[in-house]
Amino acid sequence: MSATAVREIEFRDALREAMSEEMRRDPKVFLLGEEVAEYDGAYKVSKGMLAEFGPRRIIDTPISENGFAGLGIGAAMMGLRPIVEFMSWSFSLVAADQILNNAPKMLYMSGGQFGCPIVFRGNDGAGGQLGSTHSWCVESLYANVPGLKMAIPSNPYDAKGLLKTAIRDADPVFFLESERMLSMKGEVPEEEYLIPFGQAAIRRTGEDCTIVSFGRPVHFAMEAAETLAAEDGIECEVIDGRTIRPLDLDTIVASVRKTNRCVVVDQSWSFASVGSEVAAQISEHCFDDLDNHVHRVHADDVPAPYASNLEQEMLPNPRKIRSAVLSACYRA
Amino acid sequence: MAIELTMPRLSDTMESGTIIKWNVKEGDAVSAGDVVADVETDKATMEMQVYDDGTVSRIVVPEGKTVAVGTLIAVIDDGEESAAAPAAPAATSTAAASTASAPPPAAPAPAASVSRGAAIDAGPRMRVSPVARRLADEHRIDLASIEGSGPAGRIVKQDVLGAIENRTAAAAPPTRIETAVALPVPAARAGIAASTTALSAAGRPGSEVALSGMRQTIARRLVESKNTIPHYQVTVRIDMDPVLALRKDLNAQLATQGVKLSVNDFIVRGCAVAMAEHPFMNASWAGDRILLHGAVNIGVAVALSAERGGGLVVPTIRDADRKSLRWISEETRELAEKARTKGLSAEEMSDSTFTISNLGMFGVEHFTAVINPPNSAILACGAALEQPVVRNGVLAVGHEMQATLSLDHRVIDGAMGAAWLGTLKDLLEHPATLLV
Amino acid sequence: MTKTIPTISSTSIRSHGGARASRSLPAGVPPDTIVKWFRDMLLIREFEVRTMQAYQEKKIGGFCHVYIGQEAVAVGCTAAIRPDDPMITAYRDHGHALARGMSSRHCMAEMFGKIGGCAKGKGGSMHMFDRANNLFGGHGIVGAQTAVGTGLAFATKYEDEVINGGRSDRVTLCFLGDGALNQGVLHEAMNLAGLFDLPVIFVVENNGYSMGTAIERGTTMAHDLSVKAAAYGFDAIEVDGMDLIAVYEDMKAFCDSCRAASRPGFVDMKTYRYKGHSMSDPRKYRTREEEEHFESGDPIGKLRDVLLSAGVLDEAAVAAMQKEVRAEVKDALQWSEESPAPGIDELYHDVYVERWGPYTGTSLPEMLREEKR
Repeated sequence: MSATAVREIEFRDALREAMSEEMRRDPKVFLLGEEVAEYDGAYKVSKGMLAEFGPRRIIDTPISENGFAGLGIGAAMMGLRPIVEFMSWSFSLVAADQILNNAPKMLYMSGGQFGCPIVFRGNDGAGGQLGSTHSWCVESLYANVPGLKMAIPSNPYDAKGLLKTAIRDADPVFFLESERMLSMKGEVPEEEYLIPFGQAAIRRTGEDCTIVSFGRPVHFAMEAAETLAAEDGIECEVIDGRTIRPLDLDTIVASVRKTNRCVVVDQSWSFASVGSEVAAQISEHCFDDLDNHVHRVHADDVPAPYASNLEQEMLPNPRKIRSAVLSACYRA
Repeated sequence: MAIELTMPRLSDTMESGTIIKWNVKEGDAVSAGDVVADVETDKATMEMQVYDDGTVSRIVVPEGKTVAVGTLIAVIDDGEESAAAPAAPAATSTAAASTASAPPPAAPAPAASVSRGAAIDAGPRMRVSPVARRLADEHRIDLASIEGSGPAGRIVKQDVLGAIENRTAAAAPPTRIETAVALPVPAARAGIAASTTALSAAGRPGSEVALSGMRQTIARRLVESKNTIPHYQVTVRIDMDPVLALRKDLNAQLATQGVKLSVNDFIVRGCAVAMAEHPFMNASWAGDRILLHGAVNIGVAVALSAERGGGLVVPTIRDADRKSLRWISEETRELAEKARTKGLSAEEMSDSTFTISNLGMFGVEHFTAVINPPNSAILACGAALEQPVVRNGVLAVGHEMQATLSLDHRVIDGAMGAAWLGTLKDLLEHPATLLV
Repeated sequence: MTKTIPTISSTSIRSHGGARASRSLPAGVPPDTIVKWFRDMLLIREFEVRTMQAYQEKKIGGFCHVYIGQEAVAVGCTAAIRPDDPMITAYRDHGHALARGMSSRHCMAEMFGKIGGCAKGKGGSMHMFDRANNLFGGHGIVGAQTAVGTGLAFATKYEDEVINGGRSDRVTLCFLGDGALNQGVLHEAMNLAGLFDLPVIFVVENNGYSMGTAIERGTTMAHDLSVKAAAYGFDAIEVDGMDLIAVYEDMKAFCDSCRAASRPGFVDMKTYRYKGHSMSDPRKYRTREEEEHFESGDPIGKLRDVLLSAGVLDEAAVAAMQKEVRAEVKDALQWSEESPAPGIDELYHDVYVERWGPYTGTSLPEMLREEKR
């Protein structure tokens, strides 16, 4: 195997590499959260980091999301670079005041005196039959707030590149991972790289319909796109947003101007969501280019159910995406 | 304030025009209504008038140059300082507002009917997707001529692309269409891929001839016709002695009234009357369905003289099935005369449903013609020549004309064409029926 | 510099409020310093009176909470720590800003919503920030600053020990009102502080009321808040917040001890606000007699008496000082009036450090730019 051969590593390994590399580079970076140290990470993302960096930088917290999120914010105001891990973003709701009121507004409220260079990261989205309270997709809820940035990688390569960017960013970053993707393998080079925020990736090119998605549903969009090409003769352009704030509107607009049709796939609920924001932006910027209204595929507008069949039905999936694309192309 | 004059759209199929002559020069004063230029379209040389008073400040496109419709050709200064720019004078479209009415194959018929009515009546409130509206504008497609296939009759991108492809079919919708038949053709992508036929003409060795607008149009449309329409021909011989005899009598009797019927007038009338029994002969292919026209409008090919640049125009005798021989005769003569002298208006060349090309005056015995889209058939008539004929078992000398029908096999099958020819032959061989 | 300090046990419990006998000046503190404290209290008092006036003249909008009556707390606590020690407080924050060293101009202009304000007019009364003086706000959500304050202490310790390889040498003062005692976040913050040995002191400015709810009505064990700290394993003291010398001496000792041990602490700072919770509070929940009792033991009057009896100041000097702070606040009002409103371009400024989309990055307020020069 040549030196330049690309490795395949898991999503969780990519996250760990990003954190470890940044911690080696910058002593101000530390990791804080439940079970990140002694337990080696609830999902083994931080496995081995305690051994390398010690308990002063890999810090186990009690189950006190509001407290340790606020602690991280205070540390960030002092100029440190905390990485705060939420075992699940579902648990971040009890820290809402800290992560929504303090982190994103501190710079503004202080008239430019105190920034908040912090990363909040953890699992977002339904895990597997975890029920209503543990299956939050927080992107729509939180993306509403100015002052924060939001990244949502769909593969190991992006996970590493985006997380490194997040850690170096001077502003608070909400970094949304997915429990269902942590074991996904993907090519990640040995060499260091960063992925800038606000640059979507075009995962597949096509002329007939644009599919915009973020995070895990990008894979459903790709699957749907292949079926549409094979079964329906429809070529989709699949855009992986990669970051929700900043949103790479330029790439989306350019694609929709080409295809004239768009389906947005967003795993959160539809009402006042990332999906509705993207749809609204497309209406504003591509009105004369649209051949149909923007179609949206979201989680159904119900609490996440426990039963497996209901949960699967609730979430976006390739079948729903295909159906939306057919409708957008007047083929349904 | 500068008012921009752009190349007007002076015919339903016009995509570009040639400035034949500027009647004004820079610095000239003009008044609204003045004819400032002669413009050659694909069908005729048209007068271009201005809609504002002012001074010609700039002539952008010189004589002899061909530019696309909408291109800036001159600028007029109206002498006002006003900041509010009036809309640039736009050529008024004469395109008929009517819309072919076939329910989209996949849509529930009742809903489609309702929306159709609304679209026709409401005009600007017709449902059009934004990109379809933009595409139609860019390609100068009249939205009113398109049947929307989207929900509630919305015109969508695909409909406009189809219309661009079948431009001649879509751009010149027949008037007063009362029925249309939806045929079970595959919906959706059928026919999206095709391109606009390139304007091509074979150069002759040793010399080059610049293409007039008309020549370009003839080339484009007939190549398109031959390339896209599955032509076939059916020929019949028609005994023309009865027509010649009747014509002689009528012309003698009506000479004082200035009536001078031609053989062709009988043929026009005969073709029009024959349509009553054969609706598929008076029809158009529309991509995903066939339009059966209620109106019978007979186009008559007229060759232009070399002095006018040659070429061919097809004036339309509207409602020829409802017009008398005398009327048809007068109208045909007037239109042919106008075509050869002043040129025809777009209106006068629009909306034919069937065309006749007659080369009898050149002594031609037999030829085949290329279908003039959106027609589905064209009749090529040779001369009524003296021929040995058998009448009641006896060889005699009679006048026979070979009439050759070119047909669009997508619309008309062989037997259907043959049956129509039989009707025509019967009518012409018993021409008294053409008088009633 | 070493100094004798009183032991916590001997001074931690004092009578609270009301007139009291004059006392001696704190040992080891130069008289000029004490005079400065006195002047700071006078300034805060005058500033807050004029703030109320400006509020009623509609020059100040939003919510506005004045510090009248509590001046000794901010001034005494500030005196007890070093300039490099972080401080963070809640929304009744004008006194802390002024005590920490913010000029009355920038403080007043902030409330006027002017570009000359400490936060360019974007924060308002509840959000006084001063990076140069290590004041980390002014926070509007009751209790929220306690977790952030714990993080400030985490950071000082991390910087001192993990990054610089030395010993934790700073202490963070985290102020909260007695109303914040009942916020869950305080529980989390104190637990984390105790768990991680963070040098943060939670100073409960216990003025007896969370808005209109007397402490006994909202808080268990109100008579002995030290048990709250005991639950998290750290020391607590009770301080007479109406007596600046007591505040200074007790806090100095307590802060030094927390600094030395790198441990959290808890202070039940008994104080009283003379005015309502906010500018729209009719104070129907307490009696006029109660107010008069505390006003009779006014911290400013008390310290004046001490300074006069010790011969540090005379009546004329006090009068001159009164005149001086009045002039200073008048100047602050005038300056704030004249300071321009923030330009509309400020709307998209300071949202993100990085420039992207409509956001134009960030820059320091005029206050810090001046100090840099």
